[in-house]
Amino acid sequence: MSNATVNAAPGVGMAKDKASGHAVLGWVLHNVVWIWLIALVAIFGAFNDYFLTVFNLQNVMVQATVLGMLGLAVALPLLVAEIDLSIPANAGFSAAVGALAYSDLGLPWFIAMLAGLAVGTFIGFFNGFCITRLKMVSLIETLSMMIILQGALLALTQGKTLTNLADGYVWIGQATIGGWPIMPVVFLLALAVMGVVLQRTVLGRSIYAVGGNPVASNSAGIRVDRIKVITYTISGFLAALAGFLLASWQMAITSNQGSSYLLYAIAAPIIGGVSVFGGRGNVRGVLGGVLLLTVIQVGLAIINVPSFYVGMIGGVMIFIAVAIDAIRVRYFG
Amino acid sequence: MTVHDTRGMDMAADTILRIEDVTKTYGAVRALRGVSLEIRRGTIHGLLGENGAGKSTLVGIISGQNTPTSGRILMDGRPLEQVDVKAMEEAGVFLVTQEPMIIDNMTAAENLMLGIWPNRGGFVDWKKLRADAARMLAGSGIDGSVTAGRLDAVSRRKLNILRAMFSGGRVIILDEPTAALTVADRRALFDFMRRLKAQGVTFIFISHYNDEILEICDAVSVLRDGSLAGGSEDVAALSSEQLTELVLGRGLELFQRHRRDHSDKAPAVRLRKVAGKNLSVEALDIAPGEVLGFTGLPGAGAKELARAIFGLHPASGLIWLDGHETALPGNPRAAFDAGIAYLSDDRRKDGAVGQMSIGDNIALSSLNARSRMGFIDHKAEAGVVARYFGAMGVKAPGPEYAVDTLSGGNQQKVCLGRVLATNPRLLIVDEPTRGIDVGVKQDVLRIIDELSDTGVSVIIVSTDTDELVRATDRVCVFDHGSIKETLSGDEISVERLRASVQA
Ligand SMILES: Nc1ncnc2c1ncn2[C@@H]1O[C@H](COP(=O)(O)OP(=O)(O)OP(=O)(O)O)[C@@H](O)[C@H]1O
Ligand SMILES: [Mg+2]
Repeated sequence: MSNATVNAAPGVGMAKDKASGHAVLGWVLHNVVWIWLIALVAIFGAFNDYFLTVFNLQNVMVQATVLGMLGLAVALPLLVAEIDLSIPANAGFSAAVGALAYSDLGLPWFIAMLAGLAVGTFIGFFNGFCITRLKMVSLIETLSMMIILQGALLALTQGKTLTNLADGYVWIGQATIGGWPIMPVVFLLALAVMGVVLQRTVLGRSIYAVGGNPVASNSAGIRVDRIKVITYTISGFLAALAGFLLASWQMAITSNQGSSYLLYAIAAPIIGGVSVFGGRGNVRGVLGGVLLLTVIQVGLAIINVPSFYVGMIGGVMIFIAVAIDAIRVRYFG
Repeated sequence: MTVHDTRGMDMAADTILRIEDVTKTYGAVRALRGVSLEIRRGTIHGLLGENGAGKSTLVGIISGQNTPTSGRILMDGRPLEQVDVKAMEEAGVFLVTQEPMIIDNMTAAENLMLGIWPNRGGFVDWKKLRADAARMLAGSGIDGSVTAGRLDAVSRRKLNILRAMFSGGRVIILDEPTAALTVADRRALFDFMRRLKAQGVTFIFISHYNDEILEICDAVSVLRDGSLAGGSEDVAALSSEQLTELVLGRGLELFQRHRRDHSDKAPAVRLRKVAGKNLSVEALDIAPGEVLGFTGLPGAGAKELARAIFGLHPASGLIWLDGHETALPGNPRAAFDAGIAYLSDDRRKDGAVGQMSIGDNIALSSLNARSRMGFIDHKAEAGVVARYFGAMGVKAPGPEYAVDTLSGGNQQKVCLGRVLATNPRLLIVDEPTRGIDVGVKQDVLRIIDELSDTGVSVIIVSTDTDELVRATDRVCVFDHGSIKETLSGDEISVERLRASVQA
């Protein structure tokens, strides 16, 4: 017995040291996206002076805007424990609808643009409807929707690139104030609004509850299906908005507009801590994930990594971020 | 084999399990603070304590589910390197956890054989699996080929128990196994335990029911706030009151409702022609301020009617509430809006959202009433959270902690707080005190009693006859989907209820 008491004393001290070490490690892992982001900025900056210039900062912000809008759109279905793979395709298709409504139907550009947004929003609503009312599996339903929309875009454009865009339409993608592009403001606004919705409204709380435990949420009086449909609808709207911004910025709509964003748009929120199992994640994390991916893309381009290696190195960096996050979830919940 | 180990000589030779100074901390929460305990071979050892005392944490450590912060465990006098569940099962330690552990989309038979699938060269031997499962399930009333997700809470729990019982383990740990079992099932479980005990199997048995402890345990140990607070090697000599005092460290006055007769009052709730799957109730009236009990065997209709009134069990019928007659609500939201609240008996499945905080869970069902134009009124929310966090005595550092981190009984309190926060006119609670310790149980029954004084009608669905006797004015006994017998006043007694349910 006395043995045990003697042994206990150092044991307790050790446990305390361990506990504080544990807490620090926990903090580091919780903010790993931001730490990783700062580290990469420093590394890229060290390799190439240009990386840390104001001009490049503006470039990163503009690039992050479209990815960020798409990442937000992807994050919402993830929060209710579903997924939407059709979001980048929706962005491309709805933008083409908006552009063609102007150039071929002769609608005023603003009305045409709103028509594009309406189409994208409706596609989101329709996805939600199929998943809840028809009980289709979201992974497959949205995968087929993605293929349909990609095909429809190809059909609409007849394989050509649409460049007949109104001056008003491309304004938001080109305008600057004092040299600073204004497009990122839209993303920041969207982030702020979604942050408020998720944190302060009944809808936001319901979204987290539904993602955390749909059966319990139903018993608690939350209309689970309705929440999912609303989530998909908002997500469709954000996708369409992203599509508009992308077209306005590039001043063109290619026949596969948006498709290249698919994997990054899904990776960004997940890297930022949005759980694929639902109920976990916030807009701060989405922002972190989006900035991290954008910095990797831009940085690799700037430091002249031979193009054959860019994809691989970028992939490894994302892999590391996700692996660290998995460790965090495992040990720190 | 290690009985003759020299160090083993000075400790009792028949100690199979020795827990030495085990500590477990979760961040700021100290779940166990240096617990030392000996379990003798071939005994049934009761582990008692209030909600959150650390019982599940301790048996989780013994079975390899979680690792202790410090301390060690010796089996047959040998320290075990703390390993995983699989290794502990190979060492002969099996745990039936407090919440049923079931893989929903596997069949009942597959769940029984989880991890111990009979196989030939890596291929599952399905014939043997089904035959073995059928043998184990004989007399349990469970069909092995049914998908486990479709089973009710009782059957899910039974699967876990059967798996441990047939495991051939040397130490079997049962964490609140009897919650939800019928009297007959419980008797079968106890008979089974006694048989295995005669063969030298050791049990650790956790329960909040004194009668069970007194019936089956040889020795008991009591945990309080993570420390060993006492125990007894001679349970047979204890009375129920002494046992309660041992657990709580104080005496306890058991609650008994002053039964009221409501037959001369105009009813507040009328049910008419309720019909659904396994359910057919012609008429039932409930008075304002009445506490009505529903009981019966599983599937007899008590739970089904309760869920039908709340829109969770598909059924047709009419409900008359406060002067309005409408169809039964089609979903829980409509029911809440009509002033009906329901607490499920399966808190993991449809009680709480585990990863959300205690406060968010308490507020979850009444968000609409505490918001303006869709924006949550944080002040009103904080008020209601504080009120029920306190009233239910949830044991946690604060309401911002995730429900997942709470002990089973404390999760139950959060769920109860959530439905009470909706200010219902008809409150339906399904097994409201399941998993709640004896002290808090009296508090819960008292809260229901006080609520009924304000005119709220209450339905308590319960298989706990003692609870029905203590808390209700009238009890409906269900059989084959309809009300077989209604007891009121002095007719409500444990014997009478048991006889009626079993008949
Ligand atoms: N993962 C966790 N994180 C934080 N705290 C935890 C965690 N798991 C358990 N606890 C805390 O440890 C304490 C002991 O919990 P435990 O589940 O062992 O209680 P219990 O005695 O089994 O209670 P009950 O009778 O309600 O089942 C509780 O205060 C609980 O909140
Ligand atoms: Mg427990």
